[in-house]
Amino acid sequence: MLLADFGTSYCKLQDTESSELPRLIATNTIDRKSMQVDIATGHNGKRYAAQYVNELTALARGGLQLIGKKAFTLLDCGSRDIKYVTYDDGKIKDMGWNAECGASMGFTIELLEKYYGLDFSAMAVPDSSFSITCGVLGMSHIFDAVVNGESEAEAVAKFVKGIALNAYDFAKRPETIYLSGGLCDNLLFVGSFPCPIISLGRFVLLEGLKTTLTQP
Amino acid sequence: MNENKRQRAGIVGIPPLSVMELLASPEYEVFDLDEPQGKTSIETASPFLPKVYCGILRTVVANSLKIKPDIIYIDTGSGKCDCAVHTATVLEDILPNTRIVRTRNHDATDFGIPLCRTKMNLMGKMAAITASVQIPFPYEDIMECTPTAGFWGVPPRDFSLLKLFPDTTHIYGWARCMENKTPDNLDLEMHFNPHVPTVFFAQSFCAKTALARHLASKHPYGLYLDCDVTAGNSVKAKIQAFLELSGM
Repeated sequence: MLLADFGTSYCKLQDTESSELPRLIATNTIDRKSMQVDIATGHNGKRYAAQYVNELTALARGGLQLIGKKAFTLLDCGSRDIKYVTYDDGKIKDMGWNAECGASMGFTIELLEKYYGLDFSAMAVPDSSFSITCGVLGMSHIFDAVVNGESEAEAVAKFVKGIALNAYDFAKRPETIYLSGGLCDNLLFVGSFPCPIISLGRFVLLEGLKTTLTQP
Repeated sequence: MNENKRQRAGIVGIPPLSVMELLASPEYEVFDLDEPQGKTSIETASPFLPKVYCGILRTVVANSLKIKPDIIYIDTGSGKCDCAVHTATVLEDILPNTRIVRTRNHDATDFGIPLCRTKMNLMGKMAAITASVQIPFPYEDIMECTPTAGFWGVPPRDFSLLKLFPDTTHIYGWARCMENKTPDNLDLEMHFNPHVPTVFFAQSFCAKTALARHLASKHPYGLYLDCDVTAGNSVKAKIQAFLELSGM
């Protein structure tokens, strides 16, 4: 059975009958006419699958499977949106999905790294940050800081930290965050959170889809 | 006055019962201006109210511009909101031929809440509650059901988000105050059932977002939700996932 998480920038695919690891492919390389999977999630998923699972449901089920605890907050930072689920005593306690004013965070971070030719893995987490509510609106802080004499790298690092703090607030400031999504690989972003981060990687939603196979 | 001699009366919020008894007369054709009336673009309100403003009151202005009522009863007391106070001023200026009557509804007689607690699809239930505002008579007895979920808040601008709830959803919050005909009963508005998963809803940019979020944080299984003019995919997905993961 073929499972897929169709994200904005990347598509994650897994064949449950294969022992191979999930595949990661750029969303813009998908053949829209021929692509067909059995179960999908992600905001582009409905058009490619007979069965669609809500992204928050897939995230929550994947978290329950991977984390194995009764109480946790799992935050997914994607290209286009951020979302989280909080469990307490094994029951859903809270959740959120910001696809509007908190949107484009991951996308903007990736864009800035390429635009300024930066290497986030080699950059230190700054002491301060910009106050940012969204990737798009936050860009003006970078331009202002550069005009005022800061280096591009310093300004972008403050922007990234501002985005991390915004995501932390969005998830209601938990003691520990389990992090999902492509930004798990971004050390500058992960290091910018004011709480411990446990990265679960890009395939949490796929894990959630797997549990769908055993749902009644 | 229109040709058919019936006065076109608009209502905003819940005017006092004495007003609704007056409007129940055949001399009046009543329009609930809080609700979309036909295919009126909400953007027609944009020259007169900020776009970042309560979607319900933007709807009020859009409806008023289209219908041009002879008279508008707009509740500007604590049973509605401060935004309505200012919207009344705007309406007065942009509709010089319409008489704007500001009311403050302090009615305290409980009419009961049978619709809030009955088994019915939530869209139909909410529509019946908003329609009940225009009926100044006691309700008929309706069978109560055991709740499996809760919807706390005001009737949303976009009723489509209500489709996702089970028929056994009980209604709380200001919508409950509406049915009870006591719109400024804060104790009733703040009541919720801690034993059923509950969505605490408020219109974006409405002062009630603070209360909705506060109560959701106190509820053991509460989800805070706000939504502007139309319910987008993320709003619907939140409701769907919340109910699904709560075992609905």
